[in-house]
Amino acid sequence: MSLLLALLAQALHVGLMLLAAPLLAGVESWLTGRLAGLRGTPPWQPMHEMARLWRKSPISQDNLTAVSAIAPAGELGLALAAAALVPSFATGMALSPLADLLVIAGLLAAGRLVPALAAFDLGTAPAGVRAQDAARLGVPAEAALILVVVALGLMAGGFGTDQVVTQQQDGLMQPAAALVVALAAMLALALAEASQPDPHELLFNGPDLAIALLAGWLRRLVWIDLISALFLPFGMSTVAAGPLGWLLGVLAWAAKLFFFLSGFAAVQTALGRIPRHSLPDLLGVAALLGLLAAIIVLASTSAV
Amino acid sequence: MALLPPAFLLLALLAGILPSGTGARAGTGLSVLGFLLSLAAVLARARPATLTLPLGPPSLPLHLALDALSAGFLVLVLASAACVITVEGHGADEPAAVRAGAACIAGVLLILLAGDGMTLAIGLAIACAAIWLDPAQPQPAALLIPLALLAATSLLTPAGFAPRFDTIRAAPPEVMEGTGGALLGVAGVGALIALPLGFRSPMRDALHAGMLLPAALFTLLRLVLDVSAAAGQPLWGEAMMLVGGVIAVCQGWIAGAARDVDVAAGALARCQAGLAMAGCGLALRCRLADLPAGAADALAGVLLLTMGGLAATLVTLASHRLAAGAGAYRLSRLGGLLGLMPATAAAASGGLLALSCVPSSLGFAAVWMLLRAVIAAPRTGGLPSQCVLALTAAAIAAAAALAATATLRLAGIVLLSRPRTPQAAAARDIRGPPRTVLMGLSGVVAAIGVLPIPALSLLARPVLQELAGTAAGFDGSAVGSGTGYQPLPVAALLGLCIGLALLVRFWRRREARPASAWLDGRQPPFGLPFGDPAAQAAGRGFVPAVPRLPLRLPRWPALPAWRWRLPQTGLWLILLGAAACLMVLAVGE
Repeated sequence: MSLLLALLAQALHVGLMLLAAPLLAGVESWLTGRLAGLRGTPPWQPMHEMARLWRKSPISQDNLTAVSAIAPAGELGLALAAAALVPSFATGMALSPLADLLVIAGLLAAGRLVPALAAFDLGTAPAGVRAQDAARLGVPAEAALILVVVALGLMAGGFGTDQVVTQQQDGLMQPAAALVVALAAMLALALAEASQPDPHELLFNGPDLAIALLAGWLRRLVWIDLISALFLPFGMSTVAAGPLGWLLGVLAWAAKLFFFLSGFAAVQTALGRIPRHSLPDLLGVAALLGLLAAIIVLASTSAV
Repeated sequence: MALLPPAFLLLALLAGILPSGTGARAGTGLSVLGFLLSLAAVLARARPATLTLPLGPPSLPLHLALDALSAGFLVLVLASAACVITVEGHGADEPAAVRAGAACIAGVLLILLAGDGMTLAIGLAIACAAIWLDPAQPQPAALLIPLALLAATSLLTPAGFAPRFDTIRAAPPEVMEGTGGALLGVAGVGALIALPLGFRSPMRDALHAGMLLPAALFTLLRLVLDVSAAAGQPLWGEAMMLVGGVIAVCQGWIAGAARDVDVAAGALARCQAGLAMAGCGLALRCRLADLPAGAADALAGVLLLTMGGLAATLVTLASHRLAAGAGAYRLSRLGGLLGLMPATAAAASGGLLALSCVPSSLGFAAVWMLLRAVIAAPRTGGLPSQCVLALTAAAIAAAAALAATATLRLAGIVLLSRPRTPQAAAARDIRGPPRTVLMGLSGVVAAIGVLPIPALSLLARPVLQELAGTAAGFDGSAVGSGTGYQPLPVAALLGLCIGLALLVRFWRRREARPASAWLDGRQPPFGLPFGDPAAQAAGRGFVPAVPRLPLRLPRWPALPAWRWRLPQTGLWLILLGAAACLMVLAVGE
């Protein structure tokens, strides 16, 4: 029975993530428009966009390899795998034994590599240069994410996602200063990820572009979900709590998502999109904050 | 096994007079024979054995020793040797390639079978000479490495005894001598890992990646974690962590910035070796604090990175073959080789994936183990020790990120896109045994990536038990005890998700409208049918630039020019004399 509940919760979680990803993008652009004093695009606009792209005929080039054919599905598959491992409304789901923070970081890093490979396969100059820039920014981003994961692992004694979430809920993740610094690093990483230009329109067209856009939205949702699960797991239920507990968990999750979206939209409206030349500095700061969080944990728990 | 080093030395001596093809076949045959013998020793859990050779002065005979540690490394090294000789041992330069290969293999076998410091130094000298003493561009500075490690062994040996490893185990050195010996050993192994070849040689590149780097890690494990662990100090571990971390980050950066494909491939191999060196330091720290689980995790990471030497060999061999096929080593002159050399490109992709530190790859499993060892490491020694631990974690993270970017760069620029030159467009794939060897190696490294625990259990369980004090946690399917990383289920999840996405994508197939190769609307310039090279990504700008220091160093006063120079022979005589005095002092007290 518990296995059945875990499987059901996992299926519900994956379905929610897939539904929420385009909705998240739509709500974010609507919020950004409203905060800027405009009418804002409807929240379901991304879904219309996906349907429109799905109906278009694809265009192929004779120099493309199987990499370009598989890249959109590969990117979506990697984002879907990461989304399946990050808990949203309940812990103890069917895939929780695989939910390791380093694995999730690795899947997010691999998801960044796939569009770059497609850009190189295309062979055009703008796509290649953009892929080079993205790869250069990926070095400090990936290092910073691993350092934050190490800091959380030092506090929790392991890399298991459910382990970290449960300890956070019980208030056992100490010291709090390291937690705050790690949260700052994660927010900086998420902001930098959101500020990078979307490369998909240069690479894909038609149905491939629809799949790649969905993959990009799902990645952004995974980032927000990861931050809320690791640092603000309030209201997260367990699989054993049953449907009522899950419903409360879903409501809490939706509230946290809206809170994060509002924060991001407010920051982008107030400060504008972060210029491209400042992104390396932001990512460097995130890496240093991750290192600082690790040093704080080690220094506070060390014995002379 | 004791007959293999002299057999390879004999092959090196006779390489110039053997008929064409015979030398390479003999080398491959000897390597395969050695591989099978060492694999049998590992699988049968053979007891340690020693052999005293009637060579050398009466008080300093040479000793050979075979135990679990050396047997495991022999399997990996001889597998790499067989592959390297099969792929690179034929061709116009066969006698020189076979000579260098056989000599290097003989030297490495002596290192792995060494029972005393003298045999270790002789093996290192032969291997370093085979790699770095190219007749056209010799680098004699590499011969300082065996001297440094001989001196390290002498310092670790108690006064009045020959530098035998079992003597050091029975009577650990004093603190000062032991620390001096360990630091000298770390410096020697670090130089062995980080010293570049300085010239282009496919055989030597592949031998360095597949044989010499694992031999360097073996030397570190033998000297610091095995024979002198009883006298170990936290400073030894911290030195290894710092030196290994610096090597890993620097080599990772070079791999992402090098203009030539073989230099990038070699740097990737050295990056992995640097990470393994840092792992050795973590293992020593955990062992000294009586934390067998952490030591086992770190050693497992080291051993997985050593198995990654197979992937490094594959990438090195494939990069030379791709460059030979396309007629250039410069990245900006390659491209589109996935369609023109599919087998070699597929094999190279397998090796790059193993080194890329993405989930379900060999590199990721090793990095996971090292980071788990970081969180299990002792929290003692005050703030400086904890800062060293944090910096090690930062170095591992940075090296993993740089390795991923470097593999993306190699795959994207070399294998994808369009050919940038007419020579690249006319590339032909390799055929015959080299193709089979590369594809087989690719399969082996992929299998180790999704099944690291069975690989560790097969080859290295006794080593983990002996050096870490426990092999618990390496019985199940998860890497490490408790909630660990499960590579096979993660690979299955990835396959399921990507398969679902592919199913959705190709559910409603629609005929694609063909477009020209120049979809961006710009036709290629007149006279450049392969496009303007300046308009395509050329492999530069993938890694962040090293920031310039804002300090301005003062100009040093000009020193007077030397009026006289020491002859090079005299310099070597002085160095050898110093080494001999050191040996006499160590033995004669």
